[in-house]
Amino acid sequence: MIKIQSLNAFYNDFHVLKDISLEVKKGQVVVILGPNGHGKSTFLKSICGLVDKITGKIFYDQEDITGLKSEKLVNKGITYIAENRELFPEMTVLENLKLGAYSKSARPHEKKNLEKVFSLFPRLAARKSQLASTMSGGEARMLAIARGLMSNAKFLAIDEPSLGLQPNLRNEVARIIKEINSQGITLLVVEQNTPRIMELADKFYVLEEGRISFEGSKEDALGNDHLKEIFLGI
Amino acid sequence: MFIEIIDVIISGLINGSVYALMAVGLTLIYGVSKAFNFAYGSLYSLGGYIAFLLFSLAWINNYLLVFCLAAPILLVIGFFLEKLLVAPLRKRDDWEIKVMMITLGLALFLDNSFQVVFGARMKSLPTMLEGSFELGEFILSYQDVAIFIFSIGGILLFRWFLNNTRTGMSVRAVAQNPEGAQIVGIPKEFVFAATFAISTVMVGMGGILLAQKYFITPTGGWDILVKAWVITAFGGMGSIKGSLYAAFIVGMLEAFVGWHFGMTWTLIALFAVLLTTLAVRPQGLMGKWG
Repeated sequence: MIKIQSLNAFYNDFHVLKDISLEVKKGQVVVILGPNGHGKSTFLKSICGLVDKITGKIFYDQEDITGLKSEKLVNKGITYIAENRELFPEMTVLENLKLGAYSKSARPHEKKNLEKVFSLFPRLAARKSQLASTMSGGEARMLAIARGLMSNAKFLAIDEPSLGLQPNLRNEVARIIKEINSQGITLLVVEQNTPRIMELADKFYVLEEGRISFEGSKEDALGNDHLKEIFLGI
Repeated sequence: MFIEIIDVIISGLINGSVYALMAVGLTLIYGVSKAFNFAYGSLYSLGGYIAFLLFSLAWINNYLLVFCLAAPILLVIGFFLEKLLVAPLRKRDDWEIKVMMITLGLALFLDNSFQVVFGARMKSLPTMLEGSFELGEFILSYQDVAIFIFSIGGILLFRWFLNNTRTGMSVRAVAQNPEGAQIVGIPKEFVFAATFAISTVMVGMGGILLAQKYFITPTGGWDILVKAWVITAFGGMGSIKGSLYAAFIVGMLEAFVGWHFGMTWTLIALFAVLLTTLAVRPQGLMGKWG
């Protein structure tokens, strides 16, 4: 579904990602591990058209999408869900969700997706008319994921969905990710130390200093003591 | 005395309402794109001159028609000004300064073009409505009432647009979180141009409304630019609500200072109030830090 060939990304003159190649097949959950500040977020953003300077090739269902801006990509079904949430603070939960369905391809499905999202996150339905800025950290995280789902995406890049959440909410996030994936949405997730999410993964990549330092299945990853200890938490 | 004070209050309310219409537009551009528009005053004059041209056409004889024609003209002009002058700068470093310079240049260009095309002499627009009516002991001119109604109507229409249309929602989204707006797929470039266009309509309409009372001159916009900036800074940069309050405060202040001390003191009083406010609350009345 997504195929990346020797991707490089830059912030001004800083070379963040170096020659990354990766493939995510339809229906898979692929998890990216790695220390903070080594380019995981930049990698997801590069795929979703949120980094200006990239080289290499990105294919989406055989179509070359390298260099397309996020507004085009969201319309094609590729959506980024930010680690720091990036909500609209002075808007209500409902308005935030409606803006999630801004793209042309999502508009006709707005009502259906809203129902879907509310059944997935009953808490959001109860707080529909509350301002996003008044929500707790966990609720805001749920809203960010829900807003991403409103785009009617076929491919979601989710950046550390359980970062900073307490253990029971982490499990809740894992349940939701499983649910999203079972609805046929392909997922590329940056995450660490959340066993429930690790269990869902079809494939792992480790990103260190802007390069892929490990690539393999769950079994491969479990066989690697270094990985197991540092990132997996299994 | 009492009647005089009521008259002053009415005059402050009416000017305040037009200031509000214009300052909200300026705040909008700043809030959304963080760009300073120094040509704002000249766009005010542009509105007046467009109305003047429209009125010179034989078949145009009322303000409603002029508004309906001037609004789309101003919208298109604003949109392309942003696309041609401001948008190309945005990709560069320290574009904020460059935008200030280029809009300043645009202001000088427009003002001089007005002078070449229309001459340096004042132009006036016909009165919107003749006559007046009595409300107890007060006399209100229909013109003032109409100006007030159109300004408030414009602001309400703008509010409706922001809250209820998809483009309006995307404008608010970009103002509140540009990153987030990009993530949900809002085309930022279009939103920047759209806000510039909308604010051009708002200030241009203000120009048309006030031209019947204060004439149109090639450099008349500078006064408005200063006032609009004072209001924007006073209300809090980027806060629409703050601009609304500030506009009426400035309108009232002007009216009272003008009545009691003479018109020459109004600008001094304005800046005194602005500086005092900013000394106590650097973020303005309703502004936020950061």
